[in-house]
Amino acid sequence: MAAIELQNVVKRYGAFVGVREFSLAIPDEEFLVLLGPSGCGKTTTMRMIAGLEEPTEGRIVIGGEDMTEVDARDRDVAMVFQGYALYPNMTIYDNIRFPLRMRGVPATDHDRLIRRAADMVELGAYLDRKPGALSGGQRQRAALARAIVRQPQAFLMDEPLSNLDAKLRASMRVQIKHLQRELRATTVYVTHDQIEAMTLADRIVVMNQGAVQQVGTPDEIYADPANTFVAGFIGAPPMNLIDGVADGGTFTAPGVTAPCPATLQGKVVLGIRPEDCVVGGGNLTGSVYGVEPTGDMTYLTVNVGTRQVEVKAARDFRAGLDTPLTIGFDPRRTYFFDGATGQRLRHGS
Amino acid sequence: MARRSRSERLWLRYLILFTWAAFCLVPMLWFLSIGLRPRTEVITAEPIYWPTWSLDAWHMIWRDWPMRAYLINSLMAIAGSVVICVGLAIPAAYSLARYEYRGRDDIGFYILSTRMMAPAIVAIPIFFLFRNLGLLDTVWALMLVYAAINLSITTWIIRSYMLDIPKELEDAARTDGASDLTILWEIIIPACRPGIITAAVIAAIFAINEFLFTLLIASTPAAYTLSVALANFSGGTDGIIYNAIALVAFIAFLPVFLVVLMIQKHLSRGLTMGAVKG
Ligand SMILES: Nc1ncnc2c1ncn2[C@@H]1O[C@H](COP(=O)(O)OP(=O)(O)OP(=O)(O)O)[C@@H](O)[C@H]1O
Ligand SMILES: [Mg+2]
Repeated sequence: MAAIELQNVVKRYGAFVGVREFSLAIPDEEFLVLLGPSGCGKTTTMRMIAGLEEPTEGRIVIGGEDMTEVDARDRDVAMVFQGYALYPNMTIYDNIRFPLRMRGVPATDHDRLIRRAADMVELGAYLDRKPGALSGGQRQRAALARAIVRQPQAFLMDEPLSNLDAKLRASMRVQIKHLQRELRATTVYVTHDQIEAMTLADRIVVMNQGAVQQVGTPDEIYADPANTFVAGFIGAPPMNLIDGVADGGTFTAPGVTAPCPATLQGKVVLGIRPEDCVVGGGNLTGSVYGVEPTGDMTYLTVNVGTRQVEVKAARDFRAGLDTPLTIGFDPRRTYFFDGATGQRLRHGS
Repeated sequence: MARRSRSERLWLRYLILFTWAAFCLVPMLWFLSIGLRPRTEVITAEPIYWPTWSLDAWHMIWRDWPMRAYLINSLMAIAGSVVICVGLAIPAAYSLARYEYRGRDDIGFYILSTRMMAPAIVAIPIFFLFRNLGLLDTVWALMLVYAAINLSITTWIIRSYMLDIPKELEDAARTDGASDLTILWEIIIPACRPGIITAAVIAAIFAINEFLFTLLIASTPAAYTLSVALANFSGGTDGIIYNAIALVAFIAFLPVFLVVLMIQKHLSRGLTMGAVKG
């Protein structure tokens, strides 16, 4: 396995910028997740690492070697594609064997390696089938097996779980994480699902519109978002972002008052996570819009001024629609962002 | 509105299909029946629906007439042209479907446009071309001409199949370490096999029916195919031998019919799959 380094990588399609100024060092054995909404440039970034797309500017270094000009077939990375991309005319056995044949692995080793890879993803019983005769989850695992059958420099996985149902996705997630630890494989994993990102990643790169928003561990991304985009993307439901005005140590917006650092002045955005809000207390005044019990907690949506605020309430919380209520929170749990740029305003700065 | 019962609908469906099948097959069977009756029963005032069966014409075409040579010419020209044609069409189609280069769409249209040209326009130049090459009156010339005629349509059919193959498949093969040729050979060609078969059958049908260029190139019976030989049948001292003509026509029709029957599954899937993603 190897470290990967992207140095000022840019990808332009004509005037449109697909990826802008991407610089990142991915150490050996790291599980890195690229997270962002649809069209933000995740796939493009990954394809540039794989060598399927040429960067307009910048360098890509894999294992200490400059690979920018090297063709995909000579890069020695294994990729799992969003649509599985299994070879339809070959059996699963031959699918998994394909990279071994192409990379000149001695034929006498093939059978052993193929069975080992298939067993790792619990697909041993399906080796004789064609991809068309497998379920979505099995195809997904076949694609994984084809990637792990050899020892590449790195694994690249492009939304490998997006076509699966919720339950299967959760179990495959655990499997992938386990495999990655077992193989000690440098892995770049693309997703737009923040739960997947939080659970799998050593580090997350949050992207939006081709630009890196923040790089950090899941805890850092959650606890210390760099801007409103990251704050509004992470969490389920994500952080409440309330536009208002700061003046003399107090933040005000329609239906909202909260203490804020005295240094803040003018238009700012207050951020508070639904899990840090409690019913009662005096920061927000509003009325109930919706109550969604889930068993272990109750999602509460409150109309505050002209906007809605999400609250994770106690599991036995119930209230009729339009019931007036107040919401409180610990001021130490609030975040403030610049009203114009969306950048985080650090407390005390 | 009353719903028709299931069995009634099925019955109706069979009736329609049967009528259509009869409509298509009766002329063929009529040809066969003419081919298998004595010459005296061919030209009569009243049609004879149930003739005195006779193998006169069958013996005649094999004994008095170079049927075997014509049949071999036909088969060689067709098989050779299909192989050449598909062999050239696959890489051409792949290039048109996958690579980005300047003028690609123009080249694609140019290839197709050769099909739109009236064949008579190129007939004379082609005649001189083959004469200068010393290929007149040979089966080789027929192969080349048929292949050239069919190249455009086969390229376009195969190309449309290749466009339906997800690009991811090739990307996967490339990251797995495959070269362009390996990708074409091991991934693309197997994945568009129905398209290739469809194209080959269509090329064979065109070739077996080709008349104009064959007549031009095969000026003596040395390179006659069945279609041209048939047209020359009437020239003998015996007058027009209709029963033999019918039999030869039937024999010329039979191979295509059988091939289509055998690969029917591929063909129907093939013809729709090019248009609708499936
Ligand atoms: N060949 C291309 N030509 C022009 N624009 C392109 C091309 N490929 C991608 N783009 C654009 O680049 C942007 C990033 O695309 P990319 O496929 O990387 O998005 P993504 O983050 O993977 O999205 P998704 O989650 O939907 O897969 C998109 O806006 C897309 O329209
Ligand atoms: Mg993508």
